[in-house]
Amino acid sequence: MSNIVIDKTKCKACYLCIKECPKGLIKVSKDTNSLGNNVVEFADAKNECLGCAMCAQRCPDLAIIEVNKG
Amino acid sequence: MTQCLTGKKVLMKGNYAIANAAVLAGCECYFGYPITPQSEIGEFMSGKMQELGRAYVSAESELAAINMTIGACSTGAKAMTSSSSCAVSLMQEGLSYATSDQLPVVLVSVMRGGPGLGNIYPSQGDYFQATKGGGNGDYHLIVLAPSTVQECADLTYKAFYLAHKYKNPTVLLADGMLGQMMEPVEFKKYPYPEIDNSKWALDGAKGRTNRVIRSYAPLASNQCVYLEELYKKYKLIEENEVEWEEIGTEDADVVLVSFGSSARNAKIAAKLLREKGVKAGILRPITLYPFPAKRLSELALKVKKFITVEVNMGQMVNDVRLAVNGKVPVELIHKPVGIPPAPVEIVKQVEELI
Amino acid sequence: MTTQVFKIPDSFKKDVRYTFCPGCDHGVAVRLVAEVLDELGLTQNTICAASIGCSVTIYDFLNIDTIESPHGRAMAVATGVKRAKPDKFVFTYQGDGDFASIGLAESMHAALRGEKISAICINNTTYGMTGGQLGPTTILGQVTTTSPTGRNLEYYGYPIKIAEHIALCDGTAFSARVSLDTVANIKKAKQAIKKAFEVQMKGLGLGFVEILSSCPTNWKMSPDKAHQRVREEMMPVFNLGIYKDVTQS
Repeated sequence: MSNIVIDKTKCKACYLCIKECPKGLIKVSKDTNSLGNNVVEFADAKNECLGCAMCAQRCPDLAIIEVNKG
Repeated sequence: MTQCLTGKKVLMKGNYAIANAAVLAGCECYFGYPITPQSEIGEFMSGKMQELGRAYVSAESELAAINMTIGACSTGAKAMTSSSSCAVSLMQEGLSYATSDQLPVVLVSVMRGGPGLGNIYPSQGDYFQATKGGGNGDYHLIVLAPSTVQECADLTYKAFYLAHKYKNPTVLLADGMLGQMMEPVEFKKYPYPEIDNSKWALDGAKGRTNRVIRSYAPLASNQCVYLEELYKKYKLIEENEVEWEEIGTEDADVVLVSFGSSARNAKIAAKLLREKGVKAGILRPITLYPFPAKRLSELALKVKKFITVEVNMGQMVNDVRLAVNGKVPVELIHKPVGIPPAPVEIVKQVEELI
Repeated sequence: MTTQVFKIPDSFKKDVRYTFCPGCDHGVAVRLVAEVLDELGLTQNTICAASIGCSVTIYDFLNIDTIESPHGRAMAVATGVKRAKPDKFVFTYQGDGDFASIGLAESMHAALRGEKISAICINNTTYGMTGGQLGPTTILGQVTTTSPTGRNLEYYGYPIKIAEHIALCDGTAFSARVSLDTVANIKKAKQAIKKAFEVQMKGLGLGFVEILSSCPTNWKMSPDKAHQRVREEMMPVFNLGIYKDVTQS
């Protein structure tokens, strides 16, 4: 089971990761961080994450701090 | 001229003496760009440094040369560059950064005529450039002014020592006359202790957090703290490193103040004046920063007049006036550019002024 | 059983957050540098010459010894570092204004001397930190705060193609232009950075990578649109590719 770990304190809401995810598992969250940004969140109820790390490769802020492939 | 001479008296040009002393001081890196009247320094270094397997770069400009020196100094290495007047102008940015970065840059500045391209004759027109600086912000360069070829060698040693001791750029301020003239010189062994730079130098962050040498402090408060600290260092330098030579000042009515090549003639003039019954003395600043202001201020209590002798339009005279602070008159004998005024000429002008 | 396929590089400082604007590709470029330093085992033997511009803050993020250079002088500073300590790995991280405008002489001559250093240059066709003025790489027609009706030849002349120029210098061992507009290109960019670092380690000469990068803030575009501009407007002028690789000849 693959997954990603997001450090929401680093997210600057550029949302590049959202477009990158082939499975559409990253969405804009209602939560905000200390920067006042509506951060992204990862939801994978159906275990669809491929562990491709496209999102982490794309993220300019190293906010996706871990990708695990299973 | 590629041998490195030690231990015996030799006849040598000032420029070669400086270069030879730099090698003996352990200079590991030389970066430079040719300009008259200091080109012999780079010429000597090009051969000698390669022969010794040390670093030498024929830089594309003085901008590059000073910044290469900054880079080498950031690793704690003994590094130097040399240049002259209009080209030292190009280095002002680097010197400002190097003071802010607190790096032990050694610059040999062999003055020629200015402003602008000027000419290649001797001059002391860069007293302001060296002591006041053309770079931005609050800073000082340590400035040493040799008066003989022997001192060119001795003060080159000292320049490396002080630069590393205080982590502050240090200028050896010679001029075209000292650079080009030959005089007997004897090279001692480097007389100063080696400074340990391992606590701050960049050598790869092995087993420790990274070191950053920077001058960028975006917050106003950071910059305030930084400058206060920097100026504590300058206070220390001013308290400990002022050096000057004084002859015949104990009972003097008139004291000539002169540095570098012009001090040679001023010294003779003071002697001639004594022979003529004028109680004359001379004070020769060896460090132009820190300036012997305190000593001048003390002398001002008993001397009737100070006269500076300079090869410029009157630069050091301003610092003497500040030190004397209106207690007694401070006059100027000067020549705009060229060989310093002859002793008899100085005597004549002193007699007119007193 | 899961395996970690992505993590924060070891060269990256713990608990720091980039100070770049949202969507800025500097963040990706710095991460790639960190990953390559990790992979080549260079982190603890490296001295970086930082520059002036948005690129200056690299020392806030990477755990490597760094000296900040005056504007444009990073290649001269790096030369001094490398000549003083030839056993250290030395690289610069600069913007296009720093590398190819105010510092062009230092950059070209370091390449001509074949300095055994590596240089990373971010090309975003503008002066980012000062607010989006025309720079040496601003493309024809591009509107900036100092080319209000677009770059025209009469007033501004042509932009510089940095990777090609550096490749022409005989001391250059590797020169490439890469882009960060897609994940595929990000991966190619990393390979180029690695190559530029390796040629230094092998003592072959200067290793250089020009990275086409977005500046959403000054381009006044969304991060996604900015990448589209890199593809549609920049790449036709600044063609991607390896312009010199002495290990292949």
